[in-house]
Parts: sequence; structure tokens; C-alpha cells
Amino acid sequence: MKNKLYNKTIIEVKNLTKSFNDNIVLNNINFELFEGESLAIIGESGSGKSVLLKNIIGLLTPDKGSIKINGLEMVNLKRSVKEKVLLDLGITFQHGALFDSLQNWENIVFKIRNNEKLSNKDAKKLALSIIKRLGLNSEILTLYPSEISGGMQKRVAIARAICGDPKILLFDEPTSGLDPVTGSLIDKLIKTAVKTVGGSAITITHDMASVCRIADKVILIDRQTISWLGTPNEMLKSNNPKIKDFIKSTNPKLFV
Amino acid sequence: MINSIFNICGNIGQKFLKFLATIGHFFIFFITAIFWMFRPPWYFKKIFYQIIDIGYFSLPVVGLTTFFSGMVLALQTYNGFTELNTETTVARVVLTSITRELGPVLTGLMVAGRIGAKMAAEIATMRVTEQIDALGTLGTRPMQYLIAPKIIASLICIPVLVLLGNTIGILGGYVIAIFKLEFNPSIYLYATVEYLQWIDIIQGTVKAIIFGLIISMVSCYFGFNATKGAEGVGYATTASVVISSVMILTSTYVITALFFG
Repeated sequence: MKNKLYNKTIIEVKNLTKSFNDNIVLNNINFELFEGESLAIIGESGSGKSVLLKNIIGLLTPDKGSIKINGLEMVNLKRSVKEKVLLDLGITFQHGALFDSLQNWENIVFKIRNNEKLSNKDAKKLALSIIKRLGLNSEILTLYPSEISGGMQKRVAIARAICGDPKILLFDEPTSGLDPVTGSLIDKLIKTAVKTVGGSAITITHDMASVCRIADKVILIDRQTISWLGTPNEMLKSNNPKIKDFIKSTNPKLFV
Repeated sequence: MINSIFNICGNIGQKFLKFLATIGHFFIFFITAIFWMFRPPWYFKKIFYQIIDIGYFSLPVVGLTTFFSGMVLALQTYNGFTELNTETTVARVVLTSITRELGPVLTGLMVAGRIGAKMAAEIATMRVTEQIDALGTLGTRPMQYLIAPKIIASLICIPVLVLLGNTIGILGGYVIAIFKLEFNPSIYLYATVEYLQWIDIIQGTVKAIIFGLIISMVSCYFGFNATKGAEGVGYATTASVVISSVMILTSTYVITALFFG
């Protein structure tokens, strides 16, 4: 689905297949993410959404197929080049993956401090400016991840992902485990991050309200492949039984 | 009957191949870790913290173990050699046993239990909670950031711990010899210094370096390759301590044979 609004392809996935031993998890996946576009990936648990994301960021290597980021083929790309590409990406993992030996502010500015010289004072100031956007209190900055709630950890992980305003954002279930108000705040932030820096985002989510708020395009992964692709409006009107079941079971109010 | 023999052979073959694959995997890990140890940037702050953790905080347990070993050694030697020229014999046996064998081996085993388990558990937890994956996406190489500082610190600390452990062990023997067995302090000290040989200190240091490499590499390897959540962390911790200890005991024989065989 090539949208008129978007010209430049940021991420292009072609014929991607991934299996673990004899278990095929993803089979012949094809899609494109354009500049300024927000893509939501939905699907049942265990359908391979996170595996797809891990293939894109190079943590897993596909059995077959191609993944291009900004036109650069990522599969079998030289490690040092891949690392440079990854610096332009902001990623959150399903369970936060915060470093528990570091304080929250150190987690947030980890990438920035690792790649440029930044005094502790400036780094803390930067971390503070980011967590304020996420509705977090400054007191959590000097705490360790284990000392804050799961929802707060999720937001610190998002703060780490958006620190430095990366142009490509990849979120793995960013609103799971959050209350509806905070979830909505995160959605707004993703939308803002995409629009203000002209970035692009891929969000894996089960929250259909969130999909409607943030996505320009939706992909349903079912039985190892993309079984449906369209806009959130098309999704709500879709007669595809899988889509219907998914929406009804996750957020029936959207159907009213 | 024939089928069950084939099955048994098949299982043994499979296990053996898996073992060979693990050895190969460990060897690649070893080479990669060594490579990253010498590549900048070096995380000095992390190395410093590791030195404090491995060196400073292991000193009490190492000191206590070697001190009592020295005491026991002096007492047992005295009981065994009462009819000989005991003053020099006890000093010599304590010195040689501690510097050549007990000091390095006991220090290695204590550090394997204390630090090896900690390293493996820490890295394994980071692996199963995707922290290592996250490191890779934040412009950091996990081998360089996580593993290399631990190996460097182990290589620095364990030889120092062994030297200190040796000294404390000899002191333990001295305390028993003087205060319990009523030896002449001057003669005992003279005998100790007289029998002290460079080869013993060098051999002990070589052992310490090898043990440092074994403890850090084995622990980091099992932690880094942990799977299956909490169970995987437990397995990595146990495996690192058991395999490090077995490798320490095996390698101490090989090194001794190379030096004195």
C-alpha cells in the first residue's frame, strides 16, 4: 500500500522468513514503512510480532529475505555499519530491558553518553526534560529501575528510546501494563515524536484504541504471515473475520 | 535388542557432538572476549568497580581460608615430623604447600564460588531480561562493555589475591608454630625466607592468572548464553561454579607438571 503522502521508504521488508528449528514463525513477510508514517503491528500472542522486530534491528537473522533501513541492506551487514544504523533508531523492548545496575537518568541518556561527551549535570538535565514529557516525576531520576513501578519502568524505557530524537522509533507493546490515562499519554507522545521530528514508527500493540490513535497503517500478523494490511478506519470497517475477532476481543467498544 | 543398542549409541553420539559444539562455542567466545579486551574504548569506571568487587571484597574470605589452611598445615606437619628437624621442616612444608598449591587453588576456588557465581548470575539475568539485547541497540558492544571489564579485573585481582593469600597462609603457619608449638620465631622465619624460591612465586602467579582467566571466562560464557528465564539463570550460576572449580583443579595439576614434572 503506497500512500501518496509518503515518498521515502525508511524500512523495507521483503520476503522475510524466520524459523526456529523446524518451527516457522514468520513466512514471506513483506511491507514498507515510509517517512513520517506510523505503522502498528497487531496479532495474537506468539504470532511472531516481536520476532519480526528483532529481525529488523538485527538481533535475529532471517532465514530468507531482505530488510532495508534507509536503503541499506541490514541482513549480513558489517557489524560496525549496522551499529551506526542502529544509533538512528529508538527501541523499546517488551519488558523494558532497563539496566538495573544504573539509575534511571543513566538509563535514559545511556546512548547519548556512550557516543558523545556529556557532563553528569547536562545528562541529568536532558533526562529530566524527557521524563517531563512522559508525565514522570523528577524524583525517579536518581532511583534504580527496581525501585519504581512497572508502569514507570515502561515510561523510562520509552524515555530512553526517544532520547536524542531518533528518526525511527520501534516500540514493542509500549502501553501494555499502563493505566488508560498513561497509555493515552504515551500514544500522544509517539504521535508527536513521529510528527515533530518527521520520524517513522513501528508499534507492536494489542491495544486497539491505541492503534486507532497512533497508526496510519495497520498490519495483522496471523499464521506466520501478514494476513491483513490497511488503515485504522479500514480496519474498523473490515469484514475480515480475524480482524473482527481481534477487535471484538480486545476492545469491543470500538465496534459500537 | 539391536535397536536399543543403536539408540544408546545414538544418544551417546548426540551428547558427544553437543559437548564438542559447546567446546567450539566456548572457544569462539574466548577469542572474541580476548579481542575486545584490547580494543578501545576501555570502560575504566567499570573495570575499577570490578577490581573493588573481585579484589577488595574477596580478600576477607580468601584471607580467612588461607590463614586457617596455614595453621592446619603447620599443626599436621608438626605431628607427622616430630622426630625430624621439625623447625625447618614445618616452615618448609608450610611455605612450599601454600605458595605452590594451597594458596592459588584455595583462592581460585573461593573466588569461583563468590565472584564466578555473581558474574554468571548478573550476566544471565541481563540476558533473559533482554538487557544485553538492549545494550547492542544503544551503540554498545556487550562483549566490550560487560565481559571485557570483568576479565581484565579478574586478571589483575586474582594474582594479587593469591600473593596476599600466600602471605596470610604463611602467617597462619607462623602463628601456630610460634604460639602453640613453641618454635623459635627467628629460626622459623629464617627457615621460611631461606626456602622461599622465585620459581614458587612465579608458578603461583602463573596459576593465579590462569585461574582468573578460567573463572571470568567460564562465568561470563554461561551467563552470556543463558536461556529459559529464572531456571536458566540458576543453571548458568551452578554450571559456572562447578566447571570453574573442576577446571581450576585440573589445570593446577597441568601447571605443576609443567613446572616441576
